[in-house]
Amino acid sequence: MDHAGYAALFLTESREHLRACNQALLAWEQDPAAVEPVDALFRAIHTIKGMAATMGHDAIARVAHSAENLLDALRTGRVTVTPGLLQLLFGAVDQLANGVEAAGAGTVPAAHDGELLAALDRAADGGAVGAATAEYAVHQILPAGRAVSVAIRADAQMRGGRAMLALRRAGSLGTVTALRPAAAAFEREDFDGRFTFRLESPAPNEEVVAALVSVGDIAAVTFEDAVPERAEPAARGRQIRVDLRRLDAMMKQVGELVVARNRLVDLAIRRGDPELEATAERIARLVGGLQSEVIQARMTPVGEVFDRFPRLVRDLGRDLGKQVRFEMEGEDIELDRAVLDEIGDPLLHLIRNAMDHGLETPEVRIAAGKAPQGRLLLSASRERNSVAIRVSDDGRGIDRSAILARARRDGMVDAGTDTLTDDQLLRVLARPGFSTARTVSGVSGRGVGVDVVATRVRALGGTLAIQTAEGKGTTFVVHVPLTLAIVRALLTSIGSERYAVPLAYVAETVEFDARSVTAVRDREALVVRDRAIPTVHLRDLVSMNDGTAPKYRPSVILEIGERRAALVVDALLGQQDIVVEPFDAPRGMPSFFGGATILADGAPALILDAAALL
Amino acid sequence: MADSPTFHAVVFRVGDLICAAPAGIVREILPPLPATRIPGVPGAVEGLVNLRGILLTVVDAHRLLDRPRRETDEGPIVVLDVAGRQCGLLVGEVKDFVELPSAAVAPRGQLPGVDPRIVQAVGNRGGEHFVILDIEALLAPMLGS
Repeated sequence: MDHAGYAALFLTESREHLRACNQALLAWEQDPAAVEPVDALFRAIHTIKGMAATMGHDAIARVAHSAENLLDALRTGRVTVTPGLLQLLFGAVDQLANGVEAAGAGTVPAAHDGELLAALDRAADGGAVGAATAEYAVHQILPAGRAVSVAIRADAQMRGGRAMLALRRAGSLGTVTALRPAAAAFEREDFDGRFTFRLESPAPNEEVVAALVSVGDIAAVTFEDAVPERAEPAARGRQIRVDLRRLDAMMKQVGELVVARNRLVDLAIRRGDPELEATAERIARLVGGLQSEVIQARMTPVGEVFDRFPRLVRDLGRDLGKQVRFEMEGEDIELDRAVLDEIGDPLLHLIRNAMDHGLETPEVRIAAGKAPQGRLLLSASRERNSVAIRVSDDGRGIDRSAILARARRDGMVDAGTDTLTDDQLLRVLARPGFSTARTVSGVSGRGVGVDVVATRVRALGGTLAIQTAEGKGTTFVVHVPLTLAIVRALLTSIGSERYAVPLAYVAETVEFDARSVTAVRDREALVVRDRAIPTVHLRDLVSMNDGTAPKYRPSVILEIGERRAALVVDALLGQQDIVVEPFDAPRGMPSFFGGATILADGAPALILDAAALL
Repeated sequence: MADSPTFHAVVFRVGDLICAAPAGIVREILPPLPATRIPGVPGAVEGLVNLRGILLTVVDAHRLLDRPRRETDEGPIVVLDVAGRQCGLLVGEVKDFVELPSAAVAPRGQLPGVDPRIVQAVGNRGGEHFVILDIEALLAPMLGS
């Protein structure tokens, strides 16, 4: 693997360990007598230290080292835990996170915070100043493990690659620290093939030499002060890391395979050759299996995104002077990685809103007859072909009358309207720039920002809903598709043109004919089982004026929450898995087109966005 | 252009107008492909075509330059790099790939009857003038933000 590959791994693995740090700290804060969180924290920080030293990120390694010292003192009982110390450790973890992100972005991590380091060292020494720094200095000169010097033959090809490989072999035997020169230098022209590092490993020298020499072109391996230390056994599950881009490429290929399969089945049926049909069917099944495997490989538990929120909620609670019990459910529910990457920010927004606008301060809660500690629930659950994520608080709820007054003033509802349904409420809230916030807070900024959340969720092909009861709390429900890449769609036609409608929002299909049409407030509506559903004529939407609309036309009933519409088309062509293809939309493309796909016969077709039609 | 001794261009015909695009931004030339209409977009947008599994927006140069299309023209597509994206330009006929000495290119030249805003330069090949189009100025109004 090249340096960039290691740098990417350093970033992802460090992030994971930092998440573990935050989880451990939160658990520790809940139960200061617990031992397990301290050990977990120690392990995670120790690993970060080792990786950072190997990669040459000394500033990160230094902070980790001081935090580790303090943890050691806490673990051995030399120092007793206090809220102040926990806060200090939270600060150290933040500092590490900053360093890791800076390293990931390719910038030099900012010089370590001297004050933080000094505070950590002072605390590790039970409050006294001085000795801890001296101890640190000693550690710097003599870290654990033996020093290993490696020289690669001067005439060897690709010395940098050999060095990387040798380092990896060493890393498989134990923990590598204090690498000189830094791994980045291996790629340089002037790298002379010599490097040194410290290896913490139970393996005897012969084994280390054998491992290193197996790389080839190694001229010499020398050791100093062999002080073998017990290394932590590396956890080895039956898993490998795969670059997301590789999975994306695989997904794209499978997507095209699905299209080709559809075409093949299409052709086989038309030829009427039973042997060909049987083969086509078999290929179709195999491709279907492959497709679900690849989608499965991209599935990631929502916990990966949820995990960063406990720390956030804790910090917000402190800042806002609110007591909150934060609970998470359904962390193991899985979503396509691409969806997951996009959902974090909207959720963050909703959680901030709940903390800032939803939950009340303890005094207000007590005055309202509630427990002083509020409850915030973040949950995920699987619902048909989508995942519902709920952000639910037991706070003050949304003041409907205030929103109604505002909506009336802005002419968003008839003056005669005296109540807002949850659905209407959301539509008012989700207007860009809408705000009823009495004060501007530093937490969620000006106003509610629901428009931002709604836009982001819509961009994912998802929907946002709200349930709120005054004095009892508010729940935001985000529905997102399991995957963005392949959707089941109903193919419809207008004249010779075809349009795809994602099935996720199709409730049913019915026949449209003039006899079942009525008018509701001057709008045409279709009566389906005594319910009037407003119609949308796809012919009008796509400005098709060929004047050959068939007399009896099918209607696709679209449904999102309480909203329904009957989309009137010329014909239904059947269901199909379609691959949503990226393309540069020309200027002025209507928002009710959510994307485009390539159909079985190779022709492009546009995908209708049900949410925009309702 | 001023710095290089020669200028490479792909020369094509749109109706009766001979034009060219700098060779550096021409990706490839495609045979005529069926396009799917996109409702609601500017009229010069021909639609979406399937370029080996990738969707490409195609703009009809005839409508863009207001030149009637010749009935016998099949309509090949010149694939161009425009502002970091790819866009297809449907033309009447691709004529040639030319290498011209810089002296044969007038950087701020104009031709009667052609909107000066879309003219990057005027070339001269064997006494015949042709418009080197400012592709970005021509296509930018068609592309989304």
